[in-house]
Amino acid sequence: MNILRIAIKELKVFRDFKMAVFMLITPVVLILILGTAMSNMFNGSMAVGDIRVLYQDNSTPGSAIAKQWESFAREAGKSGILFEKAGGDKDGILEVQNSQYTGFTVIADSGLSYYGNNRSSVEGSIVQGMLAAFADRYKLAAEVAKADLKLPANPAQPGAGGGDYVQEASLDAAKQPGSLDYFAVAVTTLIILYSALSADHLIKSEKKRHTDIRLMASPITKAEILTGKIVGTFLLNFLFMIIVVLISKYVFDANWGDNMGLVILVLSTEIVFALGLGLGISYIIRGEASGAVIMIIIQIAAFVGGSYYPSEDSTGIFRTLSSYSPLQWTNDAILQLIYADHISASITAMLLNMGGAALLLTIAAVTMRRREGL
Amino acid sequence: MNVLEINKLTKQFGDFIAVDNLSLSIQDGEIFGFLGANGAGKSTAINMITSLLPITRGQIEILGKNIVKHSKFAKANIGIVPQELAIYEDMTAYENVQFFAGLYGLRGSLLKSRAEEALAFVGLEDKHRSYSKNFSGGMKRRLNIACAIAHRPKLIIMDEPTVGIDPQSRSYILNSIKKLNEMGSTIIYTSHYMEEVEEICTRIAIIDHGKIIAQGTKQQLKAIITNQKNISIEVRSVEQLDVEKLRDIVGVNTVELADAVIRISSDAEINNLNKIIQQLMASGMEIRSVEADEPNLETVFLTLTGRSLRD
Repeated sequence: MNILRIAIKELKVFRDFKMAVFMLITPVVLILILGTAMSNMFNGSMAVGDIRVLYQDNSTPGSAIAKQWESFAREAGKSGILFEKAGGDKDGILEVQNSQYTGFTVIADSGLSYYGNNRSSVEGSIVQGMLAAFADRYKLAAEVAKADLKLPANPAQPGAGGGDYVQEASLDAAKQPGSLDYFAVAVTTLIILYSALSADHLIKSEKKRHTDIRLMASPITKAEILTGKIVGTFLLNFLFMIIVVLISKYVFDANWGDNMGLVILVLSTEIVFALGLGLGISYIIRGEASGAVIMIIIQIAAFVGGSYYPSEDSTGIFRTLSSYSPLQWTNDAILQLIYADHISASITAMLLNMGGAALLLTIAAVTMRRREGL
Repeated sequence: MNVLEINKLTKQFGDFIAVDNLSLSIQDGEIFGFLGANGAGKSTAINMITSLLPITRGQIEILGKNIVKHSKFAKANIGIVPQELAIYEDMTAYENVQFFAGLYGLRGSLLKSRAEEALAFVGLEDKHRSYSKNFSGGMKRRLNIACAIAHRPKLIIMDEPTVGIDPQSRSYILNSIKKLNEMGSTIIYTSHYMEEVEEICTRIAIIDHGKIIAQGTKQQLKAIITNQKNISIEVRSVEQLDVEKLRDIVGVNTVELADAVIRISSDAEINNLNKIIQQLMASGMEIRSVEADEPNLETVFLTLTGRSLRD
C-alpha cells in the first residue's frame, strides 16, 4: 500500500506544465522536424555500394545447381555483387545480423534459402531479385536437361516460378519505413531514454526538498520508498510514451505495425532500462555530476543508435558502437516487428533492457542499503 | 512514564565524536527544550532518535521499546518537524498532509478526517486545495507542522520550527505547540530563540560538544548561575574607561564593552555597585543609566558554554 501511495505521488508530476511540455511536445515536434528534414534519406533512389553476400553450398558436389551457382556468382561479381563462400567456422546468419554481409544464402539440391538484413533493405531487395532470377534460370535449365533438349543461348527471363525455389526469410522489400515512420520510432525511444534523467533526480529531489527526512522517519522501509518511486516513474513515462505513440500514429499517420502489444512491451522494457540507468548512475556517481554523465551517455547512444539518422547507414567504429546502444537494439527490434513481423529481435531487446535494468537497479539498491539515509 | 529514554548514546563519524555518552529521559507530557549551538550535536542526537542515523553505541527507547529492535513501532509514535521545510511544493496542502499521514497506516475516512484536523489545527483549513508553493513562509512552516501531527504521534520532535517567519506566525506556532502538549503529545523542541524555549519548555537540556552539560527546569538552570549578576551601565563615551581598574574591583568577573554600554558580570553576593560607579566617575565618565539584569537562559548558556547560542 505504501508503495502504491508513493507511486501515486510520483504520478502527480504529470501536473507540472514544464515536465508535460518536455515529455509530450518535444517528441512530437522532433518527429515532425526529423521526419520532414530527413525524408530524402528514405526514398528509393539512394546509391547502393558494393554488395557482399555470404553463401554456403550444401548441394551435391558437381551437381547441376552447383555448376550453375558458380557461374552465376562469377557473373554477379562483375556487377559489384560479391558472393563469398562461408568458412566452416562462420555462422552466416550471425554475420548478417552483425551487418557484415547484406545477406546469407544456402544452396541445396532442393533450392535456395536466403536470410536478409533489414538494415540493408535496398541492397537486400537487389540480391533477392537476382536470386529469384537465378532460381528461374536453374529451374528452366533443369527442365531442359530432363527433356534432353539443348539450352537456348538466351534463356527465359525470371518469372513467378522462382517462388518454388526461393525460400524468402528476409524483410518484405515492399514494406519499408518512411521518414516519419522511422522517426516516430526513433524519437519515441530517444525520449524514453531521457527518462534516465528524471530517474537520476528521483532520490536527489527528495533530498533537495528535505522530504527524505520525513520518508525515512516514517514506518516504511527504504525498499518500499525505492520501489514506489520506480513504479510511479515507470507509470508516468509509460503514460507519456503511449500518448506520443498515439499522436504519431493518428496525427502523423506513422506506421507502428500490427504487433502494437509487443511494440509497447519492448518500449516498456526500455523505460525500465532508462530508470535503472538513471538510478544506478545517481548512486555510483554522487552529486550533480551524475546528471552530466547520464546526458553524455544518452547523447552517444542517440548518435550511434539511430535517433538522428538510420544507424544502418553508419560504418566502421560507429556501426560497432551502435550495437552497444540501447536505442539501436530497441529501434531495431521495433522496426523488425513492424516491417518483418520478427519477434526474435524484440525478445533479444527486451532481455537486454531488463538485464541491464536489473544490474543497474541492483547497484542502486545495494548502495542505498549501505548508505545512511536515502 | 518515560516517553523517551536515552542511555549512554554515542555517535562517531570516523574519529569525530558528535554525540558523546548522552543520557536523558523525557516524561509523558513534557515540552523538553534542547539547546545547543551549531555543531553541538543536538541534530545528530535527534537524527538518531528518529532513526535517520544509526547509533554507534548506547540505547534509545521510545515508550519503553528499543528503537532498533522495534523500529516500526518507534517511528509510528514519532512525528518530526524538520528544521528545513519538508513539503512537496507541487502538491496541495491537503495532499501533503494526506500523503505523509498515509505512510503511518491511516486509510480512508480516518485519513481524510485526520488530515483535515491537522490542517485546521495549524490554521490552514481554508487552504486545502492551495498549492504550497504559493504559501508564505509562515504558512509553509505551519504546513510543515501539520504533516508531522496528522497521525497523532506520542512524541513530536520540532527542530527550529520558527526559523525565518513573521512574529504573528511564530506566536501562532508557539500557541499550537502548547495546545498539542495539552492534547497529550510530548514535545522535544529545539530553537535558537532563547525566549521561545523559556516561554514554552517545561524542562531544558544544554548540549555542548556532544554532551549534556546541564539539564533541568528554567529555575534549576538559572539557579546554577545565581551566584552571578549582570550590570549594564550606559555612559556618554567609553574612551576614558580603564577596564583593568574595573576588573580589579572585588567580585567583578568580566567586563565587556558594546558601544557606550559597559556590561559587567559580578559575584551576586558581593555588593560592589557603589565601587564600580565610584571608579567610573573617578575616570571622568558621565553615567546615563544603570541596570542590573536578572539571569536568563541566554546568560546561563553563555556562562556554561562560554559562547552565545548563535555562535
